[in-house]
Amino acid sequence: MKNPFGTIPPADPQNLPPAEFALAPTSLEEAVRALRIATDRRLRVLVWGGGNHQGYGHRTYPDVVLTTTSLDRVEIWEPDDLTLVADAGVRIGKVEEMLAEHRQTTLLPIHSATATIGGALATGLSGYQRYRYGPSRDRLLETRAITGDGRLVRAGGRVVKNVTGYDIPRLMVGALGRLGLIGSVCLKLVPTPSAAVTVTVDDPARAMAALYRPLAVLSSPAGHRAFLWGTDAEVESQAARVGTEMERGHFWPLPPSGMMSWSLRVPPSQLKEVTDRLPCSWDYVIQQGVGIVECGAPDLNLGPVWELRGWAESVGGAIVLTGGPDALYDRIDPWGAPPAGLDYQRRLVSEFDPYGILNPGRLPGGI
Amino acid sequence: MNFIAFGLGVGWGFIGIGEVTNPGGESKWAVVILGYRMAVALTDTAIRLREELIGVLGPNRVMDSPLERHLYAKDAGVYRGNPTLVAMIENTDEAAKVVKAARRHGVPVVARGAGTGLSAGAVPEVGGVVLVTTRMNSVDAIDVENRTAWVGPGVINLDLSRITTPYGLHFAPDPSSQSACTVGGNIACNSGGPHCLAEGSTVNHVLALEVVTDTGEVVTIGGAAPDPIGLDLRGIMVGSEGTLGIVTRALVKLTPNAPDVRTMAIAFPTIEDAAVTVSGIIAAGLIPAALEMMDQLMMQAIENWLHAGLPVDAGALLLAEVTGVTAAVDAEAEIITGIARNHNALSVQVAISAEERAILWKSRKSAFGAVAQAAPDYYLHDTVVPRTRLVEAMRQVYEIGERHGITMMNVFHAGDGNLHPLMAFDASQPGQLDKVKAAADELVQICVEKGGVLSGEHGIGIEKRHLMPLLFTDVDLDAQARVKEVFDPDGVFNPGKVLPEGSRCFDFGRPAPEGAWV
Repeated sequence: MKNPFGTIPPADPQNLPPAEFALAPTSLEEAVRALRIATDRRLRVLVWGGGNHQGYGHRTYPDVVLTTTSLDRVEIWEPDDLTLVADAGVRIGKVEEMLAEHRQTTLLPIHSATATIGGALATGLSGYQRYRYGPSRDRLLETRAITGDGRLVRAGGRVVKNVTGYDIPRLMVGALGRLGLIGSVCLKLVPTPSAAVTVTVDDPARAMAALYRPLAVLSSPAGHRAFLWGTDAEVESQAARVGTEMERGHFWPLPPSGMMSWSLRVPPSQLKEVTDRLPCSWDYVIQQGVGIVECGAPDLNLGPVWELRGWAESVGGAIVLTGGPDALYDRIDPWGAPPAGLDYQRRLVSEFDPYGILNPGRLPGGI
Repeated sequence: MNFIAFGLGVGWGFIGIGEVTNPGGESKWAVVILGYRMAVALTDTAIRLREELIGVLGPNRVMDSPLERHLYAKDAGVYRGNPTLVAMIENTDEAAKVVKAARRHGVPVVARGAGTGLSAGAVPEVGGVVLVTTRMNSVDAIDVENRTAWVGPGVINLDLSRITTPYGLHFAPDPSSQSACTVGGNIACNSGGPHCLAEGSTVNHVLALEVVTDTGEVVTIGGAAPDPIGLDLRGIMVGSEGTLGIVTRALVKLTPNAPDVRTMAIAFPTIEDAAVTVSGIIAAGLIPAALEMMDQLMMQAIENWLHAGLPVDAGALLLAEVTGVTAAVDAEAEIITGIARNHNALSVQVAISAEERAILWKSRKSAFGAVAQAAPDYYLHDTVVPRTRLVEAMRQVYEIGERHGITMMNVFHAGDGNLHPLMAFDASQPGQLDKVKAAADELVQICVEKGGVLSGEHGIGIEKRHLMPLLFTDVDLDAQARVKEVFDPDGVFNPGKVLPEGSRCFDFGRPAPEGAWV
């Protein structure tokens, strides 16, 4: 096919999935043009940030891969206002280094060196500090997103408190790009306290009860650890209440690895059952008090998944496939039972992507 | 045409005195009959709908007398509408039936909680059934382990925190009207309050919603498990001002009460000193639980009424609260005190007892009642600027007041950059309300120029919809209008709110390709 995208810079196809075209727009305007052309030609577009979370959702087989790598500008950082305006392709690791100068953070999870702000938000991921600070979507103040048919839509605002109009930015979080390519965002930042400690604890439930709003209490096959943040006096007094072994700094567990990975989400009170329910061969990180269990399985045996899915859905949760070989996605629905209000989801998507070209089919229900 | 006084309902019509402006710009006074017959007598449609609603709710919970409809014609702001009927619902099933009946008769539905809103979100501007949710005030299933509760939309905000106190929990959003406002109203407006500086607005504290849709179906979105799959419908519903659906139940997140707290009242010679201190505290990496400011006029009004011992000779008062473990609050209080002293603080008073703390908060949260001594009416504004622009924004607030000859009193969420200029006026004086509204628009304008937004926690409603284009392009507004259309294509819910007329007619400038879902 002749390249219809004209002057829009091509992307290096290395490390990108196979597609007719690979594009790397350098500005929101170029991204607008790319999506208009794709819409006119009915070319299916897959948006690609750092490629860390492409395991989420149904597989898509795109005609065009549009990478956000070149949308990499930090537009505004107001340290005194604790806000950041940055393009979607900005790497989280890089921006965290910059923010550390003023002891600030986005709290976005850094899954690898290539993880981007847009990728984490589009996938709806939050860091482990979520127990204390809430999910990422609570800190997204503004989005400039490009709809499937190439409309640049700004919503929200660059202030920390705002009820001006419908909260479209929040809707973009976890939408896997179905409502638009997140082009740039304004994030509320969090100041990083002076002291950080990791405490080994015996009983996570007791630790949760004894600590006042810890940053996180995580359990893995290696044991249970509480993560604290604050002034020196604060973290020391808190740590003394729960554990014996205290280390300076935060030693976050490595994400579980395996042939396939799953994200189990249940009401937090259900977590006490979870280690009994997980196959003993699986690797896991349990986010106590939050209700998320990241899992890694050493094989592609879906038996335990069906069981876990039945249980999770019966308590109002889900188990979501987050990574594995493509063929696996044909054997099991990565999302499970679709959520209520699916018709509204479908209609919202068709308003933002009328021709169904942008990451089509990735959401629950094949939307 | 601007009416400054509504007359009494007499016989078939309302009589009012109005200032009538002709197209040439001249204005003259005229006695006019407002809404002859329509205002008092029910139309045939309304009579048929009333019969149907009585069949659902019984005669006592369907109100149609002129007085009752008059009472539900406005919220706590300055706009007035004209309810067709008022329906008091007690459960989800009734809500669904009322919506279905109203829809069948082509009458819109306007949800209403306690009516403490200030942006006219619950004002039935073009008529409609005012659906009052205050009787749906049960708090069910307090789940201490998950820190959640299912609540009816009519639960009063403060009651929810009181009920959950024995479990060491509270509902974090705390608007100043919290002793009267409902959780349903908080959800509709995504309400804030002093403590949303650290805890975030209502949307951060809502996990699931049971919603009656425009077709009268009941759908539950979200849940107690984190990150529900698919699009975050719950998130778009919060703050949608009753334009997308009727919330009939909510699963709210409860927040653990802090083990310790320090509340400080810091007096400054000028509002600038206080504002610079606020910026300094945020820049120092502290997010206090609350950071509230009041100016001298406001302090005096409160002190006259409450005798709380406020430093009325000072130019401004900063109320700073830090919560957490003892070690943390002591350290943070010390940092805040230090920053304040560097910016000319006159005095720092730390509340020692719970009583002292309570009186400080009472003075803050009852401020708006205290204004009655300054003037019979007030217009309470709500805009936001980036926190770094607080000093210049405040200066301009007073300038605008002076230019319009309006007394500006201020008590606001300084830590969020959320301004609440309060304009005291006398609505019985001709032209006063117009003047106030003009000043209000100007206030929004200066905030938007500084990178701010129209509203931080009150909502857009009728009050600010005409200002939406200050912030958003046609394309942006069209996208928002599409959201409305997805949930309520026929305009059943709260018509005319949030978006200015004509938002959903953006012409993309290209012919729609074949197969477009338009």
